[in-house]
Amino acid sequence: MIASLIQLLTGMAEASSLFLVAAGLTVIFGVTRVVNFAHGSLFMLGAYIGWSILSRMPRDPEYFALGVILAGLATAAIGAALEMTLLRRIYRAPELLQLLATFGVVLMVQDATLHLWGPEDLTLPRGRWLRSAVVILGERFPLYDLILIALGPIVLAIIWMIFTRTRWGTLVRAATQDRDMVSALGVDQRRLFTSVFAMGSGLAGMAGALALPEASANLQMDLTAITDAFVVVVIGGLGSISGAYLAALLIGILQAVGIIWLPKSTLVLVFVVMAAVLIVRPNGLRGRKLTAARGEADTIASIKPASPSLKLAALATLAIAIAAPFVIGPFALSVLTEMAIAILFAASLHVMMGPGGMASFGHAAWFGIGAYAAALPVKLLTVSMPIALLIAPIAAGMVALAVGALVVRLNGVTLAMLTLAFAQIVWAVAFQWSDVTGGDNGILGVWPPSWAGPQAMYFLALSLCAGGALLLRKMLYAPWGFALRASRDSTQRAEAIGLDTQRLRLTAFTLAGSAAGLAGGLAAFTKGSVFPTTISIGHSVDALVMVLLGGVQTMAGPIIGAIVYTGLFDALLLATDLWRFVLGAAIVAIVLIVPQGIAGLAKR
Amino acid sequence: MMLEIEALQVRYGRALILQGLDFTVAEGEVLALIGRNGAGKSTTMKSIIGLLRPSQGRIHFNGQDIAGRAAFEIARLGIGYVPEERRIFTDLTVLENLEVGRQPPRQGRPAWTIERLFALFPNLATMPNRPGGQMSGGEQQMLAIARTLMGNPSLVLLDEPSEGLSPLIVQQMAAAVRALKSEGVSILLAEQNTNFAAGVADRAVILQTGHIVWQGSMAALPGEGEAYLSL
Repeated sequence: MIASLIQLLTGMAEASSLFLVAAGLTVIFGVTRVVNFAHGSLFMLGAYIGWSILSRMPRDPEYFALGVILAGLATAAIGAALEMTLLRRIYRAPELLQLLATFGVVLMVQDATLHLWGPEDLTLPRGRWLRSAVVILGERFPLYDLILIALGPIVLAIIWMIFTRTRWGTLVRAATQDRDMVSALGVDQRRLFTSVFAMGSGLAGMAGALALPEASANLQMDLTAITDAFVVVVIGGLGSISGAYLAALLIGILQAVGIIWLPKSTLVLVFVVMAAVLIVRPNGLRGRKLTAARGEADTIASIKPASPSLKLAALATLAIAIAAPFVIGPFALSVLTEMAIAILFAASLHVMMGPGGMASFGHAAWFGIGAYAAALPVKLLTVSMPIALLIAPIAAGMVALAVGALVVRLNGVTLAMLTLAFAQIVWAVAFQWSDVTGGDNGILGVWPPSWAGPQAMYFLALSLCAGGALLLRKMLYAPWGFALRASRDSTQRAEAIGLDTQRLRLTAFTLAGSAAGLAGGLAAFTKGSVFPTTISIGHSVDALVMVLLGGVQTMAGPIIGAIVYTGLFDALLLATDLWRFVLGAAIVAIVLIVPQGIAGLAKR
Repeated sequence: MMLEIEALQVRYGRALILQGLDFTVAEGEVLALIGRNGAGKSTTMKSIIGLLRPSQGRIHFNGQDIAGRAAFEIARLGIGYVPEERRIFTDLTVLENLEVGRQPPRQGRPAWTIERLFALFPNLATMPNRPGGQMSGGEQQMLAIARTLMGNPSLVLLDEPSEGLSPLIVQQMAAAVRALKSEGVSILLAEQNTNFAAGVADRAVILQTGHIVWQGSMAALPGEGEAYLSL
């Protein structure tokens, strides 16, 4: 009983930290309708800046408070600069492009932080007051946690006061509902948005600095923070601040208490709770139905069959691909194999995103499940490669079916965030369940049988991937594909003519998951190993960049994108240490300059 | 002239919605833009306030070229916009809605205050803290006008204020428009209801599929206007 009370308090302290990050994200989303992936980066910057300030100051509580506020102000300024240079230009872009552009910022900030503060984790020397504890029911409970518990509701109250009692808050709430009207009434909405963004960023920065006494500043905290914040914001309801607090409480307590019952599966628990909440309340605890996404139909134009010249080019490419292994060396061959796998990975995501209209930010989950589902039977049961390659798509497809059944009802950002959260959970399972998955060390020695050398593997990958991509294409031009596109363009009208839109979406979701799983299985055998990084956010983003680089609105898009991206990425890795920064900048540039992708550009 | 519009063209994608409009609104004048659905009345208003960018043509307000400028800048110069759909902030109360519209007073003109607006629309005075989403259509229309007046505009763009309202409320709207006129506020009024326009306007412009087909004094309109509208 006492133990659980202490756990409860720990959970509440955790909830406050979660809330501070999530509050900023939800405030920004509420007004600008942008899901800012870089919010986690602002949290991380807050921690690093806070460390730089606090480690130079006396270790008294008042200096700590001052340092936290300064870190918050600095992050607010960075946020404002980010809004003015990037976000302002993408407010009317489709959600996925916004997520992608802000992910580009995440990459850039990661490299910048690495170069400014170095790779080591930075811990803050703690003053005596930070180490002191209060005795509650005979148990020692950290004083700092008590302060955090109080801070959550205080910040909630302050935000609430600002939004309901000041002119600025009134304008912000009005802009949340109708920005054009606010502008037509003489309010400079650009400055309003910048100030909202600065406020949200400041909250994230303060949260980062406040996390210092209990954790170090490290380079992974950005993605951890953003994933947690996504979960909290989705459960609470996008744009709702009180909802974010409720959700933070729910998740914080769940994690703290769950760790007693199910020590290793708190993340799974979180996903189950999230799924349960969204089944009962699809818009979150306190959220409301969002108005339809703007402009999406414009960018996802109808797909037309390839022109004869494009078909000829495809045939020529295929002929070159078949002839190539007889001419090129082993390194180039491995790059080509990688490209073939990337094509299937990208084409499978394209089915979901383009014709399916479902934004996925966690496509690596299916790839990773396929990879592990192929590798594990080989290692544990010494199953042969052909059977393992059969298991991979089936396993990924089955999980996709189960997850899809929960999430295909959702749309836009919510769906993107949920797929991301699910991928993070799969990643955590692969990472934490080391008895089976080998954890961080991965599974090694997943080699193909002796009859399959690198060339044979290349042809296997090429035929499965080209075949898979062609099959996906064929399906999109079949009646099923038309029905899928119809339900994307107008769910209501599609249902009115008798289409089961949920079933169509679920089929597309499962199909895409299964195809990505096959790609993952192939990758396991060509690389000879599987690591948790195959499921990382970065890998999901790779797929997104391929599709968007090529163009969402063409079938050739993902294929061109996969080839170009894989080639460029390998060249980039060889060329520079700053590959994250360059890649991030390139992603931002793609979104700003060629949002319709290479294939779309060629069409124009 | 307070508002001068020359050769105004607006496109949506490939469709040319306004095909070159020329008209003016004088200080203190009420000009009715009359036309059926799709004639281009709302498009004209949106391009004046800056929510739509004209593809060609000039819009001068008090001698300044405002075509293509940001909506908030145009509003601050003294043009108020009351949209057809009213676009009340449904989560905000009556007082909060009015607060969003508030701008500093203008020289040489008495500023609108909450008290004066409540006197103009007594219905609003009875519900200062009601959320916009819980008001009737007529109340929302009054609030939309009051909210715009909080910006102390010298020209008000009033898009179909009588649409979908009961006859009693329409009469109140007409009285309010006349009250504004007597305050010296210029009004550009879009209407399908020629009776309403006849009761308040000095002059009329008849729009048909993006063209002006007739303009002249309101007194000359009856009969002729109906004929255009029934085309």
